[in-house]
Amino acid sequence: MRLAAGLAALAGIAVAGYLTWSHYVDSSVLCVGGGGCEEVQSSEYASIAGTPVAALGLASYTTILGLIVWDAPRARLAAAALALVGLVFSLYLLVVQLAVIDAVCVWCLANDVVIAPALAALTALRLRSWGPGEAPSARLGRGSP
Amino acid sequence: MVYRRDAGTRQADLGAVPPTPKETRSQPSGRTVVVAFSIAIVAAVALVAAALLLRDDGGSDSPPAQLVDLESIPQDGLTLGSPDATVTLIEYADFQCPFCRAYAVDVFPTVLEEYVRPGRVRSEYRGLAFLGPDSETALRYALAASLQDRFWQLQHALYAEQGDENSGWVTDELVRELAEDVPGLDVDRMFADADGNEVDELIDRANAQAQVDQVPGTPTFFVRIGDEEPYRIELPLEPDAFREALDDALRS
Repeated sequence: MRLAAGLAALAGIAVAGYLTWSHYVDSSVLCVGGGGCEEVQSSEYASIAGTPVAALGLASYTTILGLIVWDAPRARLAAAALALVGLVFSLYLLVVQLAVIDAVCVWCLANDVVIAPALAALTALRLRSWGPGEAPSARLGRGSP
Repeated sequence: MVYRRDAGTRQADLGAVPPTPKETRSQPSGRTVVVAFSIAIVAAVALVAAALLLRDDGGSDSPPAQLVDLESIPQDGLTLGSPDATVTLIEYADFQCPFCRAYAVDVFPTVLEEYVRPGRVRSEYRGLAFLGPDSETALRYALAASLQDRFWQLQHALYAEQGDENSGWVTDELVRELAEDVPGLDVDRMFADADGNEVDELIDRANAQAQVDQVPGTPTFFVRIGDEEPYRIELPLEPDAFREALDDALRS
């Protein structure tokens, strides 16, 4: 499961990396026929205070990958929490694409519908496999043994 | 210690053997997990709120561009600028492409005022229509205007008014309204020419040339110096980047 989560994070890095790259470097060749990527990427929702949302995604996926590699219990928790933030934000971006911009970018869709939910599920499941519910607070020194 | 941690991880993944005391001591409790997830949800909501509040205006939603004055600059079909200019900036573009609009609005005024108007550079437009029906409608009218050497005014006005992709924004009313503001343009003749053979030929020629030039998308820019083979330039759509590319071409 650690491998699957790592692969999901890598897929996220690839997609977010591509979208960040196209935002900065290749903005001159983005209208490539048919798809709505150019419309989504050029919309006002594609960046927050000058930072492309793709770059935020790239930073998040990289951090999650780092946490998966680290793999301490708290790293697992942090990875799951960060993946949850990513999932919620991806859902927001999905709604914006469908309801506001009225155009869908296939790369964004791959992230919002497949990668972000998969990563959130995998990181959460890994948390469960450690059995956090079975870890009494005593073990953190907060209760009786 | 490393061995024990690795072993603990493997056991935990299998879910069969309880973790060693060493690991359980650092494991988050159920309460910690709930707190962490609550913070995550709050952070996510804050992020969405920030995204909505701080979203950047740009692209097709930015305000209409101020129309540039092109009256005193020579036009020949799809070319704008002095025939004596040694450098030609060639643009492949689609009327519906938001990045082409970004060029028209954010960069073209600089190219126009600093390079084309002083007679140093010519600007040549090669229209493609691959984003949908509105692309072709707009292109046909603009090419029809080019038959009267009035292409550039209408081109710029169409980009300034660019609507959502294939929403039917290129209406006859819009085109007529924009065209009537172009001095010297016979609007009725332009409408009549839009479906004519000459416009067909111009579209075919641009498509064939785009294939030869291996144009990957729009906008794509080439620079031609004198009669030399044009070379492709890949730039961010910013005035400074185009200044640098054109200065380089003018120096060589």
